[in-house]
Amino acid sequence: MLLKELIDRCGFRIITASNLNEEIKDGYIGDLLSDVMGNAPADSIWLTVQSHVNILAVASITGIKAILLCNGLSYEEETIEKAKENDITLLETEKSSFHASLALFEAGLR
Amino acid sequence: MIEDRVDELLQKLQKYFSHITASEIMNKNVITLTPGRTLWQAKELMKIRKISGIPVVNEEKKLIGIVSIEDIIVALERNRIKEPIASHMTKRVVSLTPDEPLDSIISKFDRYHFGRFPVVDKDNRILGVISKKDIIRTILERFRLIYVHDERRSQILQKEAEWFDKSLITGDYVKKSYADFVFQINCTDIDLAGAGAAKLKAFLTKRGIDETLVRRVAIATYEAEVNVVIHSESEGSIYCWIEEDCIKVRVEDHGKGIENVEQAMKEGYSTATDHIRELGFGAGMGLPNMRRYSDKMVAMSEVGKGVVVEMIFCERG
Repeated sequence: MLLKELIDRCGFRIITASNLNEEIKDGYIGDLLSDVMGNAPADSIWLTVQSHVNILAVASITGIKAILLCNGLSYEEETIEKAKENDITLLETEKSSFHASLALFEAGLR
Repeated sequence: MIEDRVDELLQKLQKYFSHITASEIMNKNVITLTPGRTLWQAKELMKIRKISGIPVVNEEKKLIGIVSIEDIIVALERNRIKEPIASHMTKRVVSLTPDEPLDSIISKFDRYHFGRFPVVDKDNRILGVISKKDIIRTILERFRLIYVHDERRSQILQKEAEWFDKSLITGDYVKKSYADFVFQINCTDIDLAGAGAAKLKAFLTKRGIDETLVRRVAIATYEAEVNVVIHSESEGSIYCWIEEDCIKVRVEDHGKGIENVEQAMKEGYSTATDHIRELGFGAGMGLPNMRRYSDKMVAMSEVGKGVVVEMIFCERG
């Protein structure tokens, strides 16, 4: 499903978006960078509570297209700048990772 | 004939793997029988599980004998196959202790010509079983991942200057100046952790290298790079060579070093500080991820002298 369709249906806040027409094929939930590095599929959306700039390296290396920061947390300024450089969409939500993944499921990502 | 070759091979290999102990080799999934069961039942169990000997234990799980195919054949000849195991099993069992080293285990295989040896604790309770197959499996696992240790490690470390200049995998001098890609890791800025791996990914992609291969290289390099940033307290370097049939990556630093490489290889083992963990690092998956995504990996370290990690990635069909 296209990233922009997913965002529309789930109502996530867009912080920065440069690749809304990318196809999202999968998802991953994880807060340990090595775990995400080792297991996240490419072309996926990543649900996490990590907002530090290091998440961009993980996303760009694994091929994650969008990061959804859960639990009402917000990104650091540097993270947002780096996301723009790397063409990775940053999203936020009040939902927990669990409830956000349910929303993605209901929106049709599975 | 084949058996002889296996023995010869094991003899040759054991000196490199002499630090492996019975507890690391043994198959813990032991099938046992109680002495009241019949030889017929033992035979059926051997047939189903494709094994040639079964340890016999009492109610306290203590080893009291072994029933082998030979015992079954003898019982068949004498028409006593329906009788309980107790009166037919081999009672003088040669067993191993969990900390028994590989050379001692191999010499027991040589001396007794048994197919398998039980491993028991000090109360004679059975912990596992070792057959030659288990030894070969363990050695093969170690081969995929050689943490240069013991004898070879000390040999290499004596020539201190050399292990920073020689390949841990091939032993050749590493031509760092001929590397296709070089990146200096800045250990003082944790925000930049992963920058080198990301650059390497972009570099390899630009060179037209297969996408999945590039991804594997980048993930494993990221882990090595992050380790330099969060653990070494020293500058480090990433080198990458594009060879005809594979990609080689070498990540090195001259920092604190790893006290126990073998322990560090275990999934979940981490020495990261709380601050580092808050940033999402320190999951203890760095070295396991490197092993998982590379075809061959060698890590070499000594406390106070740094770490060298070499990885080879081959394209898979």
